[in-house]
Amino acid sequence: MKNKSPSSRAPHKLQIARRTVQILALVVALTIPIVSRYANYISARELDKNLARFEGTAQGRALALLDTTFRAMPDGETERVGRIIRNRDVILARTQGFGGGPWSGQIAGVSMTDPLAAAEAIVAHKRLPWVLVVSLVVPILGTLLLGRVFCSWICPMGFLFDLGDKLRSLAGLLELRPLNIRFPRWTMYALLGAGLGLAFLSAEPVLSYVYPPAMFTREAHGFVFANFDRAEEGSLGLNFGGLTSISIILGGIMLFEAAISRRWWCRYVCPGGALYSLIGAARPVRVRLVEDRCTKCALCVPVCPMGLNPMHNEMGMACDCCGV
Amino acid sequence: MSKGIKRREFFGRIFAAGLSLAGVLGVGRWMGGAAAGERVPVIRPPGALPETDFLAACIRCSRCIDACPNQCITAFTETSGLEHGLAPGRGQRNTPAIFPRRQACVLCQGAPGDVLLCTAACPTGALVPIAKTVDSILENVKIGIAVVDENICYSFQGGACGVCVRACPFEDKALRAGMWEKPIVDEEFCVGCGLCERACVRYPQAIRVELLEV
Repeated sequence: MKNKSPSSRAPHKLQIARRTVQILALVVALTIPIVSRYANYISARELDKNLARFEGTAQGRALALLDTTFRAMPDGETERVGRIIRNRDVILARTQGFGGGPWSGQIAGVSMTDPLAAAEAIVAHKRLPWVLVVSLVVPILGTLLLGRVFCSWICPMGFLFDLGDKLRSLAGLLELRPLNIRFPRWTMYALLGAGLGLAFLSAEPVLSYVYPPAMFTREAHGFVFANFDRAEEGSLGLNFGGLTSISIILGGIMLFEAAISRRWWCRYVCPGGALYSLIGAARPVRVRLVEDRCTKCALCVPVCPMGLNPMHNEMGMACDCCGV
Repeated sequence: MSKGIKRREFFGRIFAAGLSLAGVLGVGRWMGGAAAGERVPVIRPPGALPETDFLAACIRCSRCIDACPNQCITAFTETSGLEHGLAPGRGQRNTPAIFPRRQACVLCQGAPGDVLLCTAACPTGALVPIAKTVDSILENVKIGIAVVDENICYSFQGGACGVCVRACPFEDKALRAGMWEKPIVDEEFCVGCGLCERACVRYPQAIRVELLEV
């Protein structure tokens, strides 16, 4: 994470890598519920019937792609009475390695849970079960080492808010001038504290309802499941009826950020970002200014998505190591 | 500059922060179903803690929903609860629920693993892992208990049906057929899986899973 030369305008290699990881994370988050349905169909011995029924539609293509992938893995197929068939037990066991989403999920059997989810469960339930500790290992180690790297590399809503930020340049083309109100930065830490306090008092994880990655996880599940439910009932094709008020809220945040305050959620409000910042406060890997190579062009200042001041090396713990 | 502007700026910041805080927490409470008032009795997946503890430990992550091989666990929302006449109460929205007449728990028979899959998937211990042996299931799974409504049941109304008895995974233990296929529930063995309710040919169902204590 060394500083890049300010004169280079072409996308940096790190940026290409970051976008790739972000898109991959988004795709995985949307695929996991489809894997769940795929496993359901195999369990019910209905996969071949549904593959034929859904053929040509989005659901059919997704199922067929998953089927090809799982069959292509070692031991994915087996021979029975001269016919090559799906190795049902192996595939079913493998599909169990996937579940959840960026809030708490499992990829290829590795369980990972957002520290905020863990904090809320601990505070609300007043217990620390062993399974939770196990699923915290990867996120906590990653954050201790790299800081708020979840926000800029994995969080699907961070990615979508980042894309929403491009609306501002679109507004510039239309000669509109979006506002950019700055909120106090300590709001996120206050919200983290208040949210955990409320979770403790009410014994319900309040922040899980407003934390964008958690909302995204549930919305992705609702959307995918609604589509498959409708397909099972016979109305094939993509359907957006499964979207709920969550989408409206997330879209509202995006518009608010575009029109009123740039990257409002990630900069000033996000309680998860606050927790990641706190955990990664003493990280060894961080964006640093190389004084004698800086030409004080200040290009880095407007570019920073977190609204920090890289030119004066004032990153602190809020930096999410995006490397823009 | 004068002190007044600084003070105004200071209060402006406090106001902005307070507004964000109150707004976000308010939306959180609303999304959780705070406005919906009292909690409604709803059937939880096997191994679930008592309702209050469960709502505290569950992080609404959908992992048990993904793990279920029978699609029987659904997120409890206004939409999914609608046809069962239930709406999520305070803090219950998006929590995993089972509506047996839609799809019942098959106790992971035919599924991989040695542990009930939803309990294995739970990252916070809101569902306590339960081994998939007969003894362990009989001892630890207490989703609810089947209750027969004799006024609706065919077998109590002159017919002989017995569909629920055939559907029971612990036939002759949890659910026995009496004279003319009359279903007899044994509370000691019934785990509340709901397969009998799913199988019942009557609508509304003559045999239903009810929660143990409410």
